[in-house]
Amino acid sequence: MRSLGLNNHKPYLLVLPALIFFSLFVLYGIGTVFAESLNLSLNTGSSIVKYYIELAEKPGFWSGLILSLQVSAAATLLSTIIGVYLARQFYRRVPDSIWHALAWLPMLIPHFAAGYLAVLLLSQSGWFSGLLAQVTLIQETSRFPVLVNDKNGLGIIVTYLWKEIPFVLLMSMPVYRRMDWRYEDVVRTLGGGQWQVFKTVEWPALLPVLVETGIILFAFIFSAFELPYLLGVTYPKMISVMAYQWFYEGSWSNRPLAMALMTVSTVMVLIVAVVLLGLIQGKRYRMMRGR
Amino acid sequence: MFVSPARPEQQEKPILTNGIKIFVLLFFCLPFAILLLQSFSAGWQWPRLLPGTFSWRAWQSLSREPRMIPAISITLLIGLAVSLINLILGIPAGKGLAHYRFRGKSLVEAVFLLPLLIPTLAVVMGIHIFMIRVGLTNTVWGVILVHVIPTLPYTIRIFRHAFENLGSKWEEQAATLGASQLTIYRTVWLPLLIPSIHSALMLSFVISLSQYALTAIIGGGNVVTLAMVYFPYFQSSNRSVLACFTVIFALLPLSFYLLMYSLYKLFIRGPGHYRGC
Repeated sequence: MRSLGLNNHKPYLLVLPALIFFSLFVLYGIGTVFAESLNLSLNTGSSIVKYYIELAEKPGFWSGLILSLQVSAAATLLSTIIGVYLARQFYRRVPDSIWHALAWLPMLIPHFAAGYLAVLLLSQSGWFSGLLAQVTLIQETSRFPVLVNDKNGLGIIVTYLWKEIPFVLLMSMPVYRRMDWRYEDVVRTLGGGQWQVFKTVEWPALLPVLVETGIILFAFIFSAFELPYLLGVTYPKMISVMAYQWFYEGSWSNRPLAMALMTVSTVMVLIVAVVLLGLIQGKRYRMMRGR
Repeated sequence: MFVSPARPEQQEKPILTNGIKIFVLLFFCLPFAILLLQSFSAGWQWPRLLPGTFSWRAWQSLSREPRMIPAISITLLIGLAVSLINLILGIPAGKGLAHYRFRGKSLVEAVFLLPLLIPTLAVVMGIHIFMIRVGLTNTVWGVILVHVIPTLPYTIRIFRHAFENLGSKWEEQAATLGASQLTIYRTVWLPLLIPSIHSALMLSFVISLSQYALTAIIGGGNVVTLAMVYFPYFQSSNRSVLACFTVIFALLPLSFYLLMYSLYKLFIRGPGHYRGC
């Protein structure tokens, strides 16, 4: 890291193009969404948060919001846990890179294409259902549980797991490669087992990366449209699908509702991000003070 | 802190090792195998584990889809443009963050992270009216620009890590020897950054390939990428045809990779003779 004088203009020139792009699109975009979600025609005496009140009364809003939260939380948590477990085992037991490459295969295809794999394998007339029938566990397709286009978003969660476990692997493998394994010797010498090694050596190094990965995954899954649209049901609808349909339909009358819904989901993602970041900030603070 | 590269001693537990390998095969690879089988099957009766007869029928019927070739071309074109814009904006930004400390840096970092937090769907809804006014809706350029939004944060991340790992010594040495900025970029950074450029290009391309909602809103149905053709197929078409279509989605990143690879083999002499330094 070079720390030149603060008056040097070079770093600003380097970051400026990307900064302008993000300001022009992202900051302006989210600002407009917020502005359009407010009812600014106050002459009729209606409330400024009119559309938010309307949103709260919309049938399907609350169940959709809860479904979105469930799916994103479950997919984020499970893919992080399984991804870290896999990274750990890969590093310790399966060092050959061919296996790592195989595990990264799902990153190559789009989410919606992965959604079709879920249909092929997990639907009632899919391959797994056939497998169960072959071992005579079920006799007809209707006995197989509804896993795709189901009310609880199970098919969506499994597909996200398939796509995001490789992402967690990609993010956590470098942490394992950089780790100082002499600490493990210390733990073992002091009589600690596997769990102690994980808790005291690996976890502190993993945590910041996992928090970052978790935030990225939660934010993405919470607001992504493609998979819930293809693998979801008409009721309850995940909020991204609801917002897209309100926005995209012919008449523009529901657009303010879409904007209000998008503002709500942005705020929720930011809350989750702040809470998770607070987790490691507090940790750092404790470490600074010597725990 | 010294980091010892030593890998912890492996205790022999072949069952667990094999279990991990079987999990990888079943969870990550089996779906691809079933997909390929399905694409070549003519009538796959439930509950058979393998298709009864194999044929090219589904591939042939997909090849008769008139939108296929134009959609693949426009998808490749958009993916290529998105990846290049990512490099142009991402390499300098990554360098700025990695090699300099400056006032307002944490604010810049926050802005660069925001697109990963703020729903892209929201961003696109917000800029829709603006895009209409400047005439970018229903155009390929408009679609390219909105595809840069979800990709650029990752690209900046990749190059930031790359520049942090490489340090600034290389550049200083070249500058001491009198190299100009342009020469430094071309002869020092470019060869050293090849692996990162690779990752960034692939990631941008796959993310661009995966966009449906963004393309639909800004492209307005006029910019028909492969995803735009795929979505209606998902509900209506027969299983084998859709399987072929899905295989194409896996082949595109692969061919993009090969295209980029041969392109830079043509234009850049490999990093081989820099490695020894």
